[in-house]
Amino acid sequence: MNDRSTTIGVTSLLVAGCLATAAGAQSDIPAHPDALQFEPLVFEPPSSADYRRELPGGIPVYMAPTGEFPLISLTLTFKGGAYLVDPADTGLASGLGTLMRTGGTTSSSPSEVDEALDFLATQASTSVGSTTSSASMNCLKSNFDESLAIFMDILRNPAFDQERLDLWSSEMVEGMKQRNDDADSIMRREFSTIMSGDHFSSRQPTLSSVEGVDRDKLTALHRRIFHPDNLIISVSGDFDPDQMMTTLAAAFEGWEGGEAVPEPPAPAPDSVPGVYRVEKDIPQGKVMIGTRSITRDDPDYFSFLLMNEILGGGAFTSRITSRVRSDEGLAYSAGSAFRPSVDYPGVFVAYFQSKSPTVALANRIIFEEFDRIRNEPVTAEELETARQSFIETFPQNFSSRDAMLGIFVNDEWTSRPEGYWETYRDRIAAVTPEDIQAVARKYLDPEAMKVMVIGRWDEIYAGDENGRATMGDIFEGRSTEVPLKDPLTLEP
Amino acid sequence: MIRSHATLLSLALACTAAAPALAQQVEVEEFVLPNGMKFLLLPRHEQPNTITAGWVAKVGSVNERPGITGISHFFEHMMFKGTNSIGTRNPERDEEIRDRQNQIRDRMNALIWGDQYARYFDGEIDDPWDPANDTEELAALRGELKSLMEEQQGRANAARIEEMRAQLADYDDEDARKRLESVIDEMEVEQTSMGTVIKDEFDQVYTREGGSGMNAFTSNDVTFYFITVPSNKFELWAWMESDRLLDSVFREFWSERDVVHEERRLRTESTPTGIFQEQFQAMFWIASPYQWPVIGWPSDLNSYTYEDALEYWDTYYRPNNLVGVVVGDFEIDEIKPVIESYFGRLEGGAEEAPQVVTLEVPQMAQQRMSVTADVQPQVDIWFQGVPFRHRDRYALEMAAAILNGRTGRLYKSMIEGDEIASTARAGVDARKYGGAFTLSAEVKGESTPEELETALLAEIERLKEEPVGDRELQKVRNQVAADSFRSLQQNFLLLLQLGYYEGLGGWEEINEGPARLQEVTPEDIQRVAREYLDVGRSSIATYYRSEDAAPVDEELAALDPQLQAMVRQALAQIAGQTDITALEEGLRQMEAQSAQAPPQFKPALELIAKRVRERIAELEAGE
Repeated sequence: MNDRSTTIGVTSLLVAGCLATAAGAQSDIPAHPDALQFEPLVFEPPSSADYRRELPGGIPVYMAPTGEFPLISLTLTFKGGAYLVDPADTGLASGLGTLMRTGGTTSSSPSEVDEALDFLATQASTSVGSTTSSASMNCLKSNFDESLAIFMDILRNPAFDQERLDLWSSEMVEGMKQRNDDADSIMRREFSTIMSGDHFSSRQPTLSSVEGVDRDKLTALHRRIFHPDNLIISVSGDFDPDQMMTTLAAAFEGWEGGEAVPEPPAPAPDSVPGVYRVEKDIPQGKVMIGTRSITRDDPDYFSFLLMNEILGGGAFTSRITSRVRSDEGLAYSAGSAFRPSVDYPGVFVAYFQSKSPTVALANRIIFEEFDRIRNEPVTAEELETARQSFIETFPQNFSSRDAMLGIFVNDEWTSRPEGYWETYRDRIAAVTPEDIQAVARKYLDPEAMKVMVIGRWDEIYAGDENGRATMGDIFEGRSTEVPLKDPLTLEP
Repeated sequence: MIRSHATLLSLALACTAAAPALAQQVEVEEFVLPNGMKFLLLPRHEQPNTITAGWVAKVGSVNERPGITGISHFFEHMMFKGTNSIGTRNPERDEEIRDRQNQIRDRMNALIWGDQYARYFDGEIDDPWDPANDTEELAALRGELKSLMEEQQGRANAARIEEMRAQLADYDDEDARKRLESVIDEMEVEQTSMGTVIKDEFDQVYTREGGSGMNAFTSNDVTFYFITVPSNKFELWAWMESDRLLDSVFREFWSERDVVHEERRLRTESTPTGIFQEQFQAMFWIASPYQWPVIGWPSDLNSYTYEDALEYWDTYYRPNNLVGVVVGDFEIDEIKPVIESYFGRLEGGAEEAPQVVTLEVPQMAQQRMSVTADVQPQVDIWFQGVPFRHRDRYALEMAAAILNGRTGRLYKSMIEGDEIASTARAGVDARKYGGAFTLSAEVKGESTPEELETALLAEIERLKEEPVGDRELQKVRNQVAADSFRSLQQNFLLLLQLGYYEGLGGWEEINEGPARLQEVTPEDIQRVAREYLDVGRSSIATYYRSEDAAPVDEELAALDPQLQAMVRQALAQIAGQTDITALEEGLRQMEAQSAQAPPQFKPALELIAKRVRERIAELEAGE
């Protein structure tokens, strides 16, 4: 066939002809989806109080039973994480997360624990994150009691077996050796350092900090985080709620409490705005452009959320993706992200990767978009698409029981203001073009951006063959070379 | 609906009874439209307010041929570019522009395949496709194509406007500057109105109606398109998807190649092992079309024409080669008529998509690939396995399960025991027309890829020599039982499994697979290990870290390549040995045996002996 449209035309006629005699539905198909009518979907967010109970002693328990599968999923969430660790011991937190699970207990050897869990087909894991820690278990309902006994033993009486500790430490070293192999891993490390300076969120373990991890340090950190006064429980799956409360009360009995952990500290970066570069022999340049944004509970939150959505957060409907990828074909992925933290202002970042000669052009387009969203109000249509997207996808936040319980636990830990979810859609709907321009002006100062570039700098600096852009166009062509660090010591 | 009920799966299970014998039954409503398009419907009210829906085209890179590799994946991109209803404000004018683009590009391709390829074969240019090597005629055509694309996008004057904007800064006179600014603004309005494209309208419609997780992927065997929509908007999904199946126009057919080239650079060329894995696949598959990458070879990616695309579309995107899958909060009676009226519009004839006729041939020798790069030293060992539908797949999967996991054999022997590996795993890669059993491991400390290879193969020999123990097998069976529930907990995972299984053999696998795995016996595992896992007919890739490879051991490099691996391993052991007595004893034994060694081994033994003496001297000096 030579002409696709002819083929389609004939096909459509045939189909239309055949169905003209058949009744109804066919002719109801509108010419454009905007003409479709939908039944309203009424959804009110669930209230956490309906799912919350307390164990004797006040431990909160969120429960969402369902009999769909014969499985039970139990998660314990604790406050505190890597920020509690002395910088010289960086890596201790992740070590604790791993070794609680793998290091055996005071009454069972590591391999006894492993064998018992694997034979029951029970998944158990422990983790210590940057600001929160958790332990979770997923098992068949039929062996819940047996699984819970092992799980509680891991939580309450970890032994941190020396051999498993050595194994963990040598595995960490193997991971470190690969630090400079992948440009993305270099990017994560160095971008985080220029954005946050020496802060728990950007610190990385080194050979000496990992080798310094010992059982005393693990035990001390374990006591500090994993105790019943620092805990919220959530459980979903096939169980009877009253019986579950009794079982949990028995499992937690006699577990000694402890003190509340402090709040995480804010970052205090010492880097200045400008271009930072790392040399790496890859055919693409990778770029991240960042600045500090706001906290989660900031009054500007909803305006910022929609501003980011229109600028680069909303995938193909956003300006950065549209111009860098769709118009110019300069990148496979390009956009922006906005990660608010609860305790201190988060990071806003725009990103892309492009073949070396067109990095400067894509970079220039992004800076143009910073200017545009600061200097002109967004269109009514853009704002409507962004607002509707958040409003229409709102029910999905609660679409699974585990997701819903996760929200309840997080909200309780972070003291989310009352009524947040009830008013969420109204607050999204209330954002105006002026609000968006105001947050863009307040937070997206091009002069305050830190630009991190990884790739072949000479090719990247020179720019495209048509002379549309070079890296000399921003920050007067100045840049700071970030030397590739030794993967084990992180010394330059 | 998904129902659980207890059954006795096997005698063994009943005897050891650590975990209950359970099986799930996913109750899928299956129906086929008169045009041949099949639908799998799975109402599930456990996840309220949303419907996850998608469709599979039973086509992937395996259906391609040299010259059009990557076209399946390229189609995945094209399917988001709109129709005569979506993505354009002037379909007639847009079609005219596309026709002219196709004519120009066909002319360009003819020139490139002719003159530029000739210049490339002559050694005159390094890349026939690089615009930097364009002849005058080509450069002119490329310029014309670019302005057509810009006109289509409503950026006909983009370059001129950019120039004029740059001049603005030079104006000191405020009034003159304002005049120029208003001229520029007018030009922008004008060029936008000339544009025929409404960019990414497909995404915009879904986004503002609450669609989320919209995406697609292409594999060797299937192309899968999916999204989650609010449960009151199923008709929107039916509209959007049937429209693009009815009327896709392949907008941005040429410009989108740049994006795919960037995707290739991102995924294949800028990752530590991407390009080597691609070449390993090209080595592993002998006759099978699985030998080329899903993203395609770079020259093919530039080459496929609009004609190629039409032929491919009419062959593989006909309704009887498509499967719709819908999972979520709906009633069958409510959505069935919607499906019938929207997807019933598709037309394609009763002819089946052509069979892939090339069967993989048995591999008759060992193949090796050696890589030096910025990577953790590692090894991959692949054996020819079986296609997805093959009855032996279940035993091979159980064999892999015996090897994997924290209490699996590889972890115990290589990670915990000898501490030579930081990771080690086995896998089954079962595709529609062929398969593989795979092993891989990464080194730890001073160990070498050769040591990993030896240790992995030792575990394969063990599978062949002795039957798997009852408790060990029971453990894996228990895990299969629990995981078969875990994999059904999310709508999206259900959708993926149903669509993927249907594309490879039949969706019923979701119910039958776990039961078939339970039935595998120790004898089955031993039999398939013996039948399929022959190291003499395996493909092995060893990876060395760049800095480890230098300085080159010249004496080692001078040896016959077949001996090098063995000697390298011996040298590593010598370097790690600190006991002088042991070294001296080893040396004595070697000298005693060297007389009987075959002559071709002599140089290797001499080198080892020399290094042992040097090591002894070094240790003595240290004392």
